[in-house]
Amino acid sequence: IGFGIGDAAAQTRVSSIIVEGTQRIPDATVIDLAAITPGSVLSDGEINDVLQRINASGLFQSVVIVPVGSGLRIEVVERPTINRINIEGNDRLSDETLLGVVTSEPRRVYSPTQAESDARSIVEAYVESGRLAARVEPRIIRRTDNRVDLVFEVSEGRVVENERISFVGNRAFSDRRLRRVIGTKQAGFLRSIIRADSFVPERIAFDRQALSDFYQSRGYVDFRVLDVTSEFSRERDSSFVTFTVREGQQFSVGAVSVTSEFPDANIDSYRDALRVRSGETWNPSRIDEQIERLERLALQQGFDFLRVEPRVTRNARDLTLDVEFALVRGQRVFIERIDVEGNTTTLDRVIRRQFDPVEGDPFNPREIRNSAERIRALGYFADVDVQTRQGSAADQIIVDVDVEEQATGSLTFGGTFSTDTGFGLVVEFSERNFLGRGQFVGVQIQTGAEDRDISLNFREPALFDRDLSFGLSITDRTTDFSNAAYETQITSISPSLGFPISENGRLSLKYTLANEDIFNVTGDASQIIAAEAGDLIRSSFGYDYTLDLLRGGLNPNRGVLFSFGQEVAGLGGDTEYLKSTARIVAQRDIWNEEVTLRAILEGGVVAAPSGGTTRITDRFFLSSRQVRGFSSRGIGPRDVGSMESDVLGGNKYVAARFEADFPLGLPEEFGITGGVFFDMGSLWGLDNTDGDLTVDDDFELRSAIGFSLLWDTPVGPLRMNFSNPIKSNPLDDERSFDFTISTAF
Amino acid sequence: CGMFGGSEEERPLESFSAEELYKRAEFELESEGDPESAARFFGEVERLYPYSEWARRALVMQAFSYHRATDYEASRGSAQRFLTTYPADQDAPWAQYLLALSYYDQIDDVGRDQGLTFQALQSFREVIERYPDSEYARSSILKFDLAFDHLGGKEMEIGRYYLKRGHYIAAVNRFRVVVEDFQTTTHTPEALHRLVEAYLALGLTDEAQTAGAILGFNFQSTPWYQDSFVLLTGQGLRPDATGSNWLATIYRQVVRGEWL
Amino acid sequence: CARLESGHGYVPEPSALEGVVVGRDTKDIIGLTLGQPGTRGIVDDLGWYYVRSDYERFLWRAPVEVDRQVVAITFDEAGVVRNIERFGLEEGRVVALNRRVTDANTQGISFLRQLFGNLGNFDPATLINEN
Repeated sequence: IGFGIGDAAAQTRVSSIIVEGTQRIPDATVIDLAAITPGSVLSDGEINDVLQRINASGLFQSVVIVPVGSGLRIEVVERPTINRINIEGNDRLSDETLLGVVTSEPRRVYSPTQAESDARSIVEAYVESGRLAARVEPRIIRRTDNRVDLVFEVSEGRVVENERISFVGNRAFSDRRLRRVIGTKQAGFLRSIIRADSFVPERIAFDRQALSDFYQSRGYVDFRVLDVTSEFSRERDSSFVTFTVREGQQFSVGAVSVTSEFPDANIDSYRDALRVRSGETWNPSRIDEQIERLERLALQQGFDFLRVEPRVTRNARDLTLDVEFALVRGQRVFIERIDVEGNTTTLDRVIRRQFDPVEGDPFNPREIRNSAERIRALGYFADVDVQTRQGSAADQIIVDVDVEEQATGSLTFGGTFSTDTGFGLVVEFSERNFLGRGQFVGVQIQTGAEDRDISLNFREPALFDRDLSFGLSITDRTTDFSNAAYETQITSISPSLGFPISENGRLSLKYTLANEDIFNVTGDASQIIAAEAGDLIRSSFGYDYTLDLLRGGLNPNRGVLFSFGQEVAGLGGDTEYLKSTARIVAQRDIWNEEVTLRAILEGGVVAAPSGGTTRITDRFFLSSRQVRGFSSRGIGPRDVGSMESDVLGGNKYVAARFEADFPLGLPEEFGITGGVFFDMGSLWGLDNTDGDLTVDDDFELRSAIGFSLLWDTPVGPLRMNFSNPIKSNPLDDERSFDFTISTAF
Repeated sequence: CGMFGGSEEERPLESFSAEELYKRAEFELESEGDPESAARFFGEVERLYPYSEWARRALVMQAFSYHRATDYEASRGSAQRFLTTYPADQDAPWAQYLLALSYYDQIDDVGRDQGLTFQALQSFREVIERYPDSEYARSSILKFDLAFDHLGGKEMEIGRYYLKRGHYIAAVNRFRVVVEDFQTTTHTPEALHRLVEAYLALGLTDEAQTAGAILGFNFQSTPWYQDSFVLLTGQGLRPDATGSNWLATIYRQVVRGEWL
Repeated sequence: CARLESGHGYVPEPSALEGVVVGRDTKDIIGLTLGQPGTRGIVDDLGWYYVRSDYERFLWRAPVEVDRQVVAITFDEAGVVRNIERFGLEEGRVVALNRRVTDANTQGISFLRQLFGNLGNFDPATLINEN
């Protein structure tokens, strides 16, 4: 930047200012930047300040101020503006990623320093992807009207790969075991594809942390990474990394105790909640787990300002650490305000009602985290960020909830495909956050080759603004399956209410009024179905109790869900039956939450009053999701005598699914994980076998085994099951491939 | 990535003079009614002739066109760029006003995001303070009050949420924010009445009297004062307070989305 | 087992309350020993109020306030404690809230705008006809 002052008169009276050399930027702007009050007297120092002010605007290449006659003459040379920016010679990293890093913009003023820093950030981007030898040259091409085109010339250079990673000072674990712990991988035969084996400085810091976590979680409390050295080969394309470590001694848990400052807290309940035994290898994350359990218990028992403080005493002789969990009175802090921002569609109350705590309540970080979890579970937001900050006083906290909305509805006119009924047409509108009130509205008209389905669903999660969900569904389903010699039409209307009855238990009550019609029963159909033909009214009332301890329990990565429901039909309707269903789901994450084991057991029985018979529309069928390896309605008692040998459904069913989901080691961004499963189940029991032997309705267990691919598509989790039946009845319709939108289970 | 070949559509634009391009953009905006392409043309004027008087005018017109095309982010960007390059220009008040409008027009129902309202308030204050005598100052003041009233409405809505659920302390604190920080808004009388309701529910009758007195003194003619008077003196029960069966409540709350 | 309890607000422990001496303790002392109040008087900040309520909720009914403790501490002009009152649920009045609202001056998201906002969005579940 040019810099100069004319002959230094000590004082200059400024009555007029003349600006020269401006092209794009009007003189008024320069005078505004100079900020000189006309008629004031300026010393040299003040003139220099004016100069600095004009320079600071960054708009000018050079600024010269010359006192002349009755004022000042400011001579400026404007910086050129950028006409266009381009990047050349980049191959590994695309233009978009690199332009994203560049701060200069077209039509903005070109500044050499900014171009230099852009070049450096492009080099930085290359270093992050392992190409340390990359070099970037910013170059400008002059254009007319003092405009320039900015070009970044990139030469990428070769990737630096790790030839050898070695460890010094490790006695307890071998080099090979430790290599599996750290992120940086030794270059193997897949070196060109795998990125993790390229030498990246930041990753070394990550590796130091991974090593110390590995050792400390196995009792080596004094573990230190002393030094990490890396040498480069001459051609600078491979490096040798050496980690020097000091393991120290392995400690185990000594005495475990609980003390409390809260007189009316019953210490035994806290002691029972602990899951750490003395003699166990010391592991800091296990200790944190216990703290979480005790604080959860305190939350359930409603103690305000309770914090659990672990006090560890070390006895070096017998290498044990005693830990005392002290329930201490935390600082008395309150929630001053809960402010919600970013909710352009969702109403404030829909978010606010997810908060158990209320403004003015004592501040409990765990409750805030639980509430944030509930807001995320709503599924209306792409991102939910809950932060706390200091309020108007030292003991006041303001909770800031910053949400980012996402599309929560769909409007589709299109075709559908089902592995059971083939292709069909669908007109569908559904909105999970109707008018931002959190209500669900779904209208679906669907015609397939073998079935037609019109359904209207509405759900209000908080009726009267209470935790009381109200649901209404009106459906009309007609079926004409190719493998069934009869048609059914079921039109039903069903309101329901759901509310919590305990910490994790929820009860829902449901009434259904339905007109069930079985017609067009052809000669081929079984006489059983022929006997059940007719147009009957069903009026039934049911309840369903679900105890969900999958995530809410004290242990975050193990849980169980139990649900039991009954439905009584009669109440003024024609058909009468009592239907009971039950389901147990047990889930457990193992190998530090990488692998999930899940077991699902479900069963049901429907019974007509003495002497009566159930109808096919009320009996159970097993879908392909309940027992994989068989198509829906593919299992169960059949009337082999009839031409069509229809599936008749069953009064009793049981199904069990044992699954394991695990990562396939593919990079994170693919979002593909794998799973294996073993299913078994049976559908049996009919009332009116009326003696003819052609119907075999007794218990026969089917089973299938298979593996599945879970793909987390941006639109929804897709689960593809490849199954192979082991035990099956020759009459069953088997299915080796099936895909579903995998709800949790 | 290729060298600098200008794309097909580019070359003829270079041949136009700044004024012709500007006129073309204005034509697109006024008669064609296509603000989107008008904004694009204004952008071209500025890019091809960065020193002309037209470029300066085009930048603020671009902000206006984007605003007309309801592309508020782009309008904000152009207005901001105009203000940094030409702070002392005679069009600066207009650019600042356009910047404020870009937030204001996005303000939504009181129940929803209020981050935008806050930024609209700040931009309008900028117009009022830096260009008090420009023709935009007057409408900025008007819109400032509307936005301010809107922010007050948000506090009221949260206050009513807590009042309805019986969390009186939380409700009182929210209504006090309205009474103290938002006196000039239309919500103050209702806030005072809600304070009477909340304090009476808590049994703090003297605070309720104080709130009723302030309401009586300042807002004698509003219906809110009548309601408070009834509550405080206990004479005469309001008709609508009694009858409200659960079916009517479901219709009002679930279908019409009202608060009570 | 269907009765769900929850508690909100905060009142100082009885032991701390006994320690307060009328006519001597000032606002700062009270602020330290008892903690900041839930809310203050409207005009002259001479009244500090602490409220703690316990709610019970049975099946589908709304939560009912079963117990409330209100501690009202009033100060004189100099900020010295003048009086401490404690009262509960009985002194409170059941107030029928007024349904009228000072209406906000902007309209919300309309049904049609939301409907067409979803055009083209695609919900995978509809494609998988799980009967």
